[in-house]
Amino acid sequence: MPAIADRNSSSFKEIVAAIKSDKSGDIAGSNGCCIPQKRRLRSDAAAARESPVSTPMKLKSPRRRLNSSPNSPANGIKEDFSEKPVKKNWNPRDVEHMRAVKEALHVSTAPSTIVCREDEQKRVLEFCKACIEQEKAGSLYACGCPGTGKSLSMDKVKQQVIDWATKEDLQPLEVLALNCTSLANTSEIFSKILGKHQPRKKTMGSTSPLQHLQKLYSNNQARAGSKMMLIIADELDYLITKDRAVLHDLFMLTTFPFSRCILIGIANSIDLADRFLPRLQSLNCKPMVVTFRAYSKDQILSILQERLLVLPYIVFQQQALELCARKVAAASGDMRKALCVCRSAMEILEAELRESASNLSLASVEEFISQQTAPALEIFQSEENNTVRIDHMALALSKTFRSPIVDTIQSLPQHQQIILCSAVKFFRGGKKDSTVGELNKSYIDICKSAMIPPVGILEFSSMCRVLNDQGLFKLGQSRDDKSKRVTLKVDEADISFALQGVRFFRNCLQ
Amino acid sequence: MATETPKKQLQSPRKPKQSLNNLKVQSSPLSISLSPQTPQSLIPPQAPPRRSLRRTSLHFSSTPIEDSIEYEKSDPKTPRKAVEEIGKISGQSRKGQSHEERVKTPKTPKIPKRKRNGENRKTAKLGILGEGMVEAEVTFSSVTPEVLETKKRKRGEDKTVIPRAMATRSSKKKEKKRVYYKKVVYDEGEFDVGDDVYVKRREDASSDDEVPEMEECRVCFRAGRSVMIECDDCLGGFHLKCLKPPLKEVPEGDWVCGFCQAQKLGKYVEFPEPPEGKKRVRTLREKLLASDLWAARIESLWKEVDGSFWFRGRWYMIPEETACGRQPHNLRRELYRTNDCADIEMESIIRHCNVMSPKEYAKANDEGDDVFLCEYEYDIHWHSFKRIAEIDNDEADDEHADSDEDWNSSKEPDSGTDEDMEYEEESTRNAQARLSTAHLAANSRKGHFFGLQKIGTKKIPEHVRCHKQTVLERAKATLLLATLPKSLPCRNKEMEEIMAFVKGAICDDRCLGRCLYIHGVPGTGKTMSVLAVMRNLKSEVDAGSIRPYCFVEVNGLKLASPENIYRVIYEALTGHRVSWKKALQLLNERFSDGKKIGKEDDRPCILLIDELDLLVTRNQSVLYNILDWPTKPHSKLIVIGIANTMDLPEKLLPRISSRMGIQRLCFGPYNYQQLQEIISSRLKGIDAFEKQAVEFASRKVAAISGDARRALEICRRAADIADYRIKKQISTVNSSTGKDIVTMAEVDAAIQEMFQAPHVQVMKSCSKLSKIFLTAMVYELYKTGMGETTFEKLAMTISCLCTSNGEAFPGWDTILKVGCKLGECRIILCEPGDRHRLQKLQLNFPSDDVAFALKDTKDLPWLAKYL
Repeated sequence: MPAIADRNSSSFKEIVAAIKSDKSGDIAGSNGCCIPQKRRLRSDAAAARESPVSTPMKLKSPRRRLNSSPNSPANGIKEDFSEKPVKKNWNPRDVEHMRAVKEALHVSTAPSTIVCREDEQKRVLEFCKACIEQEKAGSLYACGCPGTGKSLSMDKVKQQVIDWATKEDLQPLEVLALNCTSLANTSEIFSKILGKHQPRKKTMGSTSPLQHLQKLYSNNQARAGSKMMLIIADELDYLITKDRAVLHDLFMLTTFPFSRCILIGIANSIDLADRFLPRLQSLNCKPMVVTFRAYSKDQILSILQERLLVLPYIVFQQQALELCARKVAAASGDMRKALCVCRSAMEILEAELRESASNLSLASVEEFISQQTAPALEIFQSEENNTVRIDHMALALSKTFRSPIVDTIQSLPQHQQIILCSAVKFFRGGKKDSTVGELNKSYIDICKSAMIPPVGILEFSSMCRVLNDQGLFKLGQSRDDKSKRVTLKVDEADISFALQGVRFFRNCLQ
Repeated sequence: MATETPKKQLQSPRKPKQSLNNLKVQSSPLSISLSPQTPQSLIPPQAPPRRSLRRTSLHFSSTPIEDSIEYEKSDPKTPRKAVEEIGKISGQSRKGQSHEERVKTPKTPKIPKRKRNGENRKTAKLGILGEGMVEAEVTFSSVTPEVLETKKRKRGEDKTVIPRAMATRSSKKKEKKRVYYKKVVYDEGEFDVGDDVYVKRREDASSDDEVPEMEECRVCFRAGRSVMIECDDCLGGFHLKCLKPPLKEVPEGDWVCGFCQAQKLGKYVEFPEPPEGKKRVRTLREKLLASDLWAARIESLWKEVDGSFWFRGRWYMIPEETACGRQPHNLRRELYRTNDCADIEMESIIRHCNVMSPKEYAKANDEGDDVFLCEYEYDIHWHSFKRIAEIDNDEADDEHADSDEDWNSSKEPDSGTDEDMEYEEESTRNAQARLSTAHLAANSRKGHFFGLQKIGTKKIPEHVRCHKQTVLERAKATLLLATLPKSLPCRNKEMEEIMAFVKGAICDDRCLGRCLYIHGVPGTGKTMSVLAVMRNLKSEVDAGSIRPYCFVEVNGLKLASPENIYRVIYEALTGHRVSWKKALQLLNERFSDGKKIGKEDDRPCILLIDELDLLVTRNQSVLYNILDWPTKPHSKLIVIGIANTMDLPEKLLPRISSRMGIQRLCFGPYNYQQLQEIISSRLKGIDAFEKQAVEFASRKVAAISGDARRALEICRRAADIADYRIKKQISTVNSSTGKDIVTMAEVDAAIQEMFQAPHVQVMKSCSKLSKIFLTAMVYELYKTGMGETTFEKLAMTISCLCTSNGEAFPGWDTILKVGCKLGECRIILCEPGDRHRLQKLQLNFPSDDVAFALKDTKDLPWLAKYL
């Protein structure tokens, strides 16, 4: 782990540096404890290689080694607590402090080291190195859920490959990193590749860039002059066209006898290569697949800690971070979401402090006599409030993951509630869906029974559209308003729970 | 006092320097009278005392003419002539002084030249001088002859203005109105629409006070009366005798001073220091070119309600202030006219200057020091230059005149909308208060505009309303969707949240990109809240508490295709129109790769996308790109998306919703209290609605949709109905006994109109036979319990109904025709009529609607039996 060494040698204050090395050791520990788990999960043999993380583990103090045993996460947390007083106090009222934390937690700030993805990075790097050394073409496909660090890792790998190539004194290689969404036209990718190969030459009108590339790669003469080329194509699935030609041609480029391009594709779907490139398999040049799993809770935790390491103060309570990690890992394992939640938790704290400050100033104005107690109170409060606590995090998480259906239903206008109610009644008989016209009849029945003047059919269908927008209904496509299919998208129980406060609806739903 | 004429290349040295020197003859007496007065005229004290001072001084002051004279073009004269004339002129001006203690503006050096022209024309004409006008005219005519006559000849339109202005003048005291003038005498200077003036840049800049009357020699630092020569490079003035070696006479062609020559050769030059105790004074021209002053062209002049004089100025810019900086081809005295206007108090005017087109500039020889060349108009948003051709100029003038008219009509509403006026005044006053704290001059309201913000629809011009508005009409006007309410109640929490979001994003230095998704049903104030927040932010930017940012607003509905959003964004950011593919590439460079081109690019950018859901394409790449940019390190992009759909992020691809972040804001439908508050806040001060009527309307809307637009529309329609009723009453009974207030009945009628679907109206108003037809159909369908029927069966039923209720059976053909008519209206769905007997018929609307519509038909009471 070169980055850790960097950190240690950095000219920080001594104490901070000490803490940092402590901390990074800690993270290495947590890495250590999560890697076995990964191995268990992974069917891939490549993961069985020795983890690079294990080296710092050997250097650890005995106490640390105790913590690094996989079964003692609780110990680790406790120990973080004991470290706390060493760090400077974080002051959320300080704009500068706040800004620093927000910056550290922002999606766009790339951390100096990417923890928890060493394995994948290493595989990709090895692959690239092998290709470059043997001067042969190859293709690799990285897949994984959104927010699992694919693009970030590939960025790092790209840098590492370039560094490695210069260090090894190999011929410098061309790198083309592009996001397929930014292409105006899918086949534009070939002209970009060609542009990298021959920056000066203008393509002739007669041959397309693809044909040009194919000629280039199947020609032995061209080989001598050209460099190796690393193509990183993010969001590869945007290249999927109806006939799949572009994607296919792109991967076929690597199969040409004198092809010199290393293709790395990144996308979400796991089986893109199998589904869309069956021919490659027959040619026996199926791309190597590297899967980025969704982060586990330990990984999220350690990434968050890693990011916060840059800061010389403690911002989050350990439990708060853990709660966040657990929740996010359970929901999606999306790192972006975890970062957003952390930020929103901080904002909740900020708002709370602002409120308490205004309250405090009010109070101090009112109780002018008890001036002595006021500062004491403030100090007490500031100590108490200086970290993002678990309750803030819980609030932020609930804001993110809570489904607002009940609130939404309760805040609906009455007639829309009646529609929901009639829909529940209507679908009780085991029916799955119906048309707007049918539903209108049932709605009018309810209205009549309650002596409420019903609204007209046009109004009714526009209300159905609103409910569709709110995610409560699903309206089908139809030219005619009346014959649109309606299905209820929320659970019946939710609606009856939300509406049980009103007697009319309660009676209606019974 | 040199002008850099294009001619200059040939004969520059023979230029006004001389006349300057000549002028110095009379400068000494003038400065005596000057010294006591200047502080008053130049340092702006509190406005009110000053104004009175000015007014009183007007009674005997004669100077106003001087400044305006500058406007006219004196014939190119050889400097020598000027020299000859000087004695005469200065004598004259002294005479003028002795007659009436005239206060000299710093302009003095120029007077003589003007007098040459005006000598034999002894008519004095004055602008609007206020109360003192008549007297002033009398006093003047004896002494100060000049110019105005020439002016009269040149700009005939002036003549017409005066009576009008005077007329308004008389009644001005009571009225709360702005009064517009074509010409104003202010601070002993006469200012016309179309004049160019120097404008103070800062309130506290003390250096503005001491304006040198004439330029000093760069070597001996004395003005003196000997001949000066101007360097064509640094514009510095030099006495001929102070030069090394001294020059005998002004040389032909370009002349560059020794300092500049040395500097050009790369030598280090030591400029002569001024003698002890004497500060080097800069002329206004120097200050302007060093961007310590501003120059502006007066577009319109008016007097505010509080009595202060204002003008709308169009800024000039020095080349250094443009985006591309000073270019080699820029002349030293070149200015750019901008398209940026601001309302400026007259206080901040220093005096006139003279900005000329190249043609005029070439002719101008001895216009003094304050002559500038302006050939191009500079677009401050897009940093583009446009040549101000002569024709364009005329057109522009016309345009300005037009826009002035518009301005007058919209900003001088009749007494009915006084309140609006007051409101506007209030806001300007606030702006002033803010400015004074920020130590900025009044003219720093640059870029402030009082435009019409849109909420839903466009505003109809108000010029029709020439009569006094009744309460109801005022109510209707305020309830219009296009009217911008004075306050936006019920969305404070959401607005605070948006404000916190935007501020949190743009206030720190890194300006981390973020994304906010706002959703809510239509008519709940989503767009309005965001725009209100942006307005507040804009005012904070103006006050200087927030750094400037760019704000781009895109409506998804207004895009021809989703991809076009790139083009629109790029155009809004840079002003260049490119194809969307190119724009995508450029935007990617800017946001993803962090490539910043202009200095403007470094600003944070707030992108508001209304109707975000319309940008969803098949592969959703547009949304992906837009939401991916904020996650890039140097994008400084903040995206605010607005849509109706609550679960749009969940419907999108996971990779997009992951990039969207978790910031959501929900605008729920209004409940009836909120609607009531919104309506009554709009109607504040207008007693046109019964309280219950408003409550009824808001309850009704809240029960169905909670859409504020609809509630406002209902109220407006109710006011319409009430208005109609009252007018009818007056015309028939001729006595206004009825209360002119909107009651429950009208609101109910409006609600009926709005919520009752059109098909009910159609059914109610259709022919007798059609009604029978429909009734029979309902009856038939009810009887059989089927969804559709055939024409044969229906005709049987109709004949049954007719015979049993004493109606004549019309015959099949007629019934068929009626059926087809109803089919055309889509009340029923029917097959083409040629199937005749076998034609299948279906009701397009629920039978209850038919029943409701036909229940109480007057002429066919028996229909109710069958429904």
